[in-house]
Amino acid sequence: MVDLDKYKWPILTIIIITVVLMIMIAVGFTIGILSEDPDGLERVLIDARGETWVENLPSPWEPILGWIESDYIAGIIGIILSVVLIMSAFYLITYLKKTQH
Amino acid sequence: MHIPDGLLDPVTTIVLWIVTIVIMFISFKKIRKSFEEEDSEKLIPYIGVLAATLFAFQFVNYPVPGGTSGHLVGGTLVGVILGPWAAVIVIFMILVVQSLFGDGGITAIGANTFNMGVICGIVGFYIVKALILILNKTNMEKQKKVTIATAIGSYVSIVLAALMAGIEIGIGGAIPMNIAVPAMVFWHLIIGIGEAIISAFIVYFIYKVKPEFITTEEMLGVK
Repeated sequence: MVDLDKYKWPILTIIIITVVLMIMIAVGFTIGILSEDPDGLERVLIDARGETWVENLPSPWEPILGWIESDYIAGIIGIILSVVLIMSAFYLITYLKKTQH
Repeated sequence: MHIPDGLLDPVTTIVLWIVTIVIMFISFKKIRKSFEEEDSEKLIPYIGVLAATLFAFQFVNYPVPGGTSGHLVGGTLVGVILGPWAAVIVIFMILVVQSLFGDGGITAIGANTFNMGVICGIVGFYIVKALILILNKTNMEKQKKVTIATAIGSYVSIVLAALMAGIEIGIGGAIPMNIAVPAMVFWHLIIGIGEAIISAFIVYFIYKVKPEFITTEEMLGVK
């Protein structure tokens, strides 16, 4: 097993950075500093095919995560999944390195 | 820049997944080497922290004139900080998580990693390296050389990545090539300015605060 205590601070930093920055982003959009306009690729697609076409592109996530209707719940689940996935990758690299020695 | 699901044709999607997997495999091999050489006890958590930071930063959409917005991609930035091979891994990790938020498609992770990880991370890094070789002929300070090279490298790599994305979309047939390519390049010529400024600022800041965090000085050949 990996000594998680040794990596306490990097792990906490990952969680804190992700949560704080996402809160800052939410606030930034709310007060209007950040832009909700489409990005470069979305702009190209909307100009060429229209907004409805872009919004109706099929997504494989739809059957799995389509039950989530609230944006807030989706955000919370997203933050949790992000932290878990990034931490898992971090843990895996650490574990693989440990098993090499 | 994040290509959504349903935009690319199956052949382009599969080819780009294969190319990305091969480059990821090479990256893991190269990274493993650097773990043995470097002080990996610090390097591993550093990669995790940088991935988390960049992941959140990619959601920050700054306004761009013309009714569009841009956000940091950070491939070249990570390349300059951690090396080109680590950049591919970091960008891949970020794209996997972002696909959960609907920012980029899950089937398009291969294409997005190719554009943002391989083009911005690896190609961008070598553009920075080439620029540093030129700047080495001047008597500029080390940090200024890396900062200027990062800004230009980030800008060029973003435009190149947009060009590639335009070609991929054109091949997929969602939009004709003669519309997709010039439109993608045009918008990213503007959006890239933000990428260049943010990347340069972060590199300059790291140099001021913790210069040892730039782990690629030797690879970049900065004098």
